[in-house]
Amino acid sequence: MNEGLYWQGMTLLDFARGPAFRWSVAIFIVGVIWRLTMLILAKRKRLEPPKGAPVAGGTKAVATRSTPPGELYGGLTTLLTRSAPAHELEKNIVFQHYSGYAWHISMFIILFLGTPHMLFFADILGFTWPTLPGWIITFFTVITMGILLVLFARRLMNPVLRKISTWDDYISWVIAFLPFLTGFMSVAHLTPFMDYETMLGLHFLSVCALLIWFPFGKLMHALVIWPSRYKVGAAFARRGVRA
Amino acid sequence: MSATTIPDYGTLGQRAAAGLKPKGLSDEQKIARAKQAFIAGIDADMATYLESCIHCGMCAEACHFYLGTHEAKYTPIFKTEPLKKVYRREVAPMRLFNRLTTRDITISDLEDWKELAYDSCTQCGRCSLLCPMGIHIQSMIQVVRNGLAAAGMAPAELQAVSDEQRDKATILGAGPDRLREAVERVRAQGIEVPLDKEKAEIMVLSSALDFLKDEQLLGATARIMNKIGADWTIRSDGFESANFGALSGDKPAQRRISKRVIDAAVATGAKKVIVAECGHAYPVLRWEAATLYGKELPFEFLSVSEYFGQESKAGRLKLKKPSGEVSHVTFHDPCKLGRMGGSFDEARELLGAIGVKLTEMESHGRTNLCCGGGGGVSMLQSADKLRKAAFELKREEVERTGAPTVVTACNTCLQTLEKGKQWLSWDKEIVNLVQMVSENLD
Repeated sequence: MNEGLYWQGMTLLDFARGPAFRWSVAIFIVGVIWRLTMLILAKRKRLEPPKGAPVAGGTKAVATRSTPPGELYGGLTTLLTRSAPAHELEKNIVFQHYSGYAWHISMFIILFLGTPHMLFFADILGFTWPTLPGWIITFFTVITMGILLVLFARRLMNPVLRKISTWDDYISWVIAFLPFLTGFMSVAHLTPFMDYETMLGLHFLSVCALLIWFPFGKLMHALVIWPSRYKVGAAFARRGVRA
Repeated sequence: MSATTIPDYGTLGQRAAAGLKPKGLSDEQKIARAKQAFIAGIDADMATYLESCIHCGMCAEACHFYLGTHEAKYTPIFKTEPLKKVYRREVAPMRLFNRLTTRDITISDLEDWKELAYDSCTQCGRCSLLCPMGIHIQSMIQVVRNGLAAAGMAPAELQAVSDEQRDKATILGAGPDRLREAVERVRAQGIEVPLDKEKAEIMVLSSALDFLKDEQLLGATARIMNKIGADWTIRSDGFESANFGALSGDKPAQRRISKRVIDAAVATGAKKVIVAECGHAYPVLRWEAATLYGKELPFEFLSVSEYFGQESKAGRLKLKKPSGEVSHVTFHDPCKLGRMGGSFDEARELLGAIGVKLTEMESHGRTNLCCGGGGGVSMLQSADKLRKAAFELKREEVERTGAPTVVTACNTCLQTLEKGKQWLSWDKEIVNLVQMVSENLD
């Protein structure tokens, strides 16, 4: 492969899994680092002692203030506990909650336990792992696309979601949906007007689009969820409350 | 022992609003000031929250105002929209691109958000417990209030009292003189009140709102403090728990008002400052005052129920159990003391010491449903309809406990529950925890 002449003598698939993929990964990494760095601004210092800590003055107070174990613990536990809110809070969001779980879990199963995906990663990582039969992966793909379509319809129809949705939500939905669609069409050989390799090329390109869009849109939530949950957990823990 | 001891906050709000002096700012000045306050409020934590929203709308399902009305505009995160816009356009790493997709805030945005940031948010913090991304929405809404107040667009009821309290250290004309009169009336009942002692271990706060109508609460607090045998005082130069600067969102006023309390406590050499049963006052003093003051404080702030609960647990406050029938109560956790303050067990310790039968509501402790009156909302007549809708949820939860009595530890909650009782011709008895304790001293 002559990268200097990649427009010539290169199929769409070669382009997609070659230079396009490499550039997408580079943009993804640089973008993510840039956006996360921008979040690390000067943190405001709180002068109030945390719940249960002694008041100012004395070595004990100083020692307690410099390492707030309660906040650290509160922040870290919230990373997990926020995934399962208290019943009285969760009872009204059962559908959103479980549909969200269902499609995210499904996505990870497809990504890591689908044989072609495993082989792709194995090429980079140098080792393999067991995968699930193709029909199961196809099943999860159909389930995921179904849930995503329902969630999309919900975003269009639910008054609360309509009120708070932005262009980012719709772009991110399309970007997230396309890899499942193109992957499914490749595997199922649903390749109208094109050969299998071209469809696979489109699948790669849809992943490239996802990688490029990731740092700039709401897909970034996959990363910012952790500092955000940590911070809310620590803020509540400071006041002696489990978040 | 009920809300008859405190005045109607809505009426007070109306009285105050009539005296408001407008700031006379142009629309451009208002927008510029609001933006400046928004940007000043965006620190690393706030930026993380602003970057994190996935627009899932789940926060709506935690909010009593949304649940009570099912109007999409009351979705908590939507109440922060002007702040989000300013963040996207002025601060976010994507700001150059965002300026193409996000329009700037306008004067009508700010007008519209008055209702959303004030009338329809009690800053109870419940939404911050449900957000799957962990966004502290309540703290963002306070920044929206800061922006609106800086633009001179806080509700007149709150801004007028905030201005008065900032400049004159009075609330609706009630200041040190009215306190002295109230203390005299308490003393006339044979209750000792150490007013303006030069030095004391404990400085107790009151509130003009507590003695505008009568002095029962002041008397009840004094009786308990004397029973504990504490070395305490109440200072006429720093007795006010309430902070209308915080409620209106006027941050410079908030700083000045809380500084008075700090200065008085430092002058007294107090080790503990006991905040009266005034919901927002506790988190404002306990969690914000030192940072605004710029120094760590040599004393601790405790809410009155928190302190009495601790004293009861330590055996220094002895309470008697009734000899007759045990009364059946449910406890309404004030959001500002519980979820936003971390004090849950102390009130229950007191109820246990008194020996009542306590049945908890489905949402209690950290997930408690707000009564709908906090954050200054009880003073806004424009919020009456919303409060009624939100109160219905509270009523349902109370009803399900089967308890004939609701006890609470915040006068704003007490006022709101009393108001709800009036609206619904409800047969529940609403009881103030401090008064209940003072009536059961051993």
